[in-house]
Amino acid sequence: MTAPLVKRPASGRPVWLTVLVTLLTGVTLAQDVQLENRVFEIAAKLRCPICTSESVADSSVQLAVEMRQIIQEQLSQGRSEAEILAFFQQSYGDWILLDPPKRGLHLLVWILPVVGAVIGVTALLVLGRRWQRRSREPIDVDPEDLARVRSELASGER
Amino acid sequence: MKARRMLIAVVAVAALGGLFAFGLLRGEPDRNLPSELIGKPAPSFDLRLYERYAGTYGEVLSLADYLGDKPMVVNFWASWCAPCYVEAPVLQSYWQEYQDTDVLFVGVQTQDRGKYDEGRDFLNQFGLSFPNAMDDDSRMSIGWGLLGVPETFFVDRQGRVVHKHIGPVTPEVMETQLAALLE
Repeated sequence: MTAPLVKRPASGRPVWLTVLVTLLTGVTLAQDVQLENRVFEIAAKLRCPICTSESVADSSVQLAVEMRQIIQEQLSQGRSEAEILAFFQQSYGDWILLDPPKRGLHLLVWILPVVGAVIGVTALLVLGRRWQRRSREPIDVDPEDLARVRSELASGER
Repeated sequence: MKARRMLIAVVAVAALGGLFAFGLLRGEPDRNLPSELIGKPAPSFDLRLYERYAGTYGEVLSLADYLGDKPMVVNFWASWCAPCYVEAPVLQSYWQEYQDTDVLFVGVQTQDRGKYDEGRDFLNQFGLSFPNAMDDDSRMSIGWGLLGVPETFFVDRQGRVVHKHIGPVTPEVMETQLAALLE
């Protein structure tokens, strides 16, 4: 009896086939997880239309589940995040975006905090300098008071 | 000088406090948002009609067949939605009054996955004779930008959405919007 060309495990399947199947399954699973993560990343940027203050990623209502399904389909078709967000904006407008878009009146929301921070830091710097300058200036003291302090200090030394 | 600074501080704190109180007490934000679709072409759909309408309108209702031809009233409802039960008789009575004009009423059951039996019960309860279809995967809710149910869209003869009504329709809404559609 001749030895088999490929060593078979107990199940009778060649080892290389088992390894290949495991590898392919691993790759597919990793891709699925990656796709799912992308779906949730994009869904987190969309407002759930029928629940208050929840993103499409957080909500479990049927509409949000369906929106995540649409995101997954569009990602699989090779659409970009911007294209997918634009798809939902078509029917819901900018309201559907949790982060207001960086244009028009919405720009205020993005610019005002930066302007506020700049004004605050500048004010602190100006005040700090003023206080520093004042601390270096000689202090005007009544000569009588000075004499009194000196004499009391001298008497205290005894 | 000191008194002036104190006054500024008090005014600033009072202003912030006022803003805080306003935020706390203003309640739910207004959800009667204007539809993004107003003035734009109504999104089309192909939906399977409930059996009772198949004889008149075919098994599948293709909105594209009517868009740009007939003015339309497109009503979205669900079997679990209480206000939908309030508006159904209103819609049916206006359909009966207007079905001989060229306006078409279309009902779409949405956000109600798999509830075909409940849908049939709803249609039977009110004897709705205008075509009603099931949007089982709620894709039409998303395509039409729905925030909930019921919502009713009025589409003009050119196929453009001219008005959206959130909540149950009233005779006043129907009178005004139908008159505008048929002008």
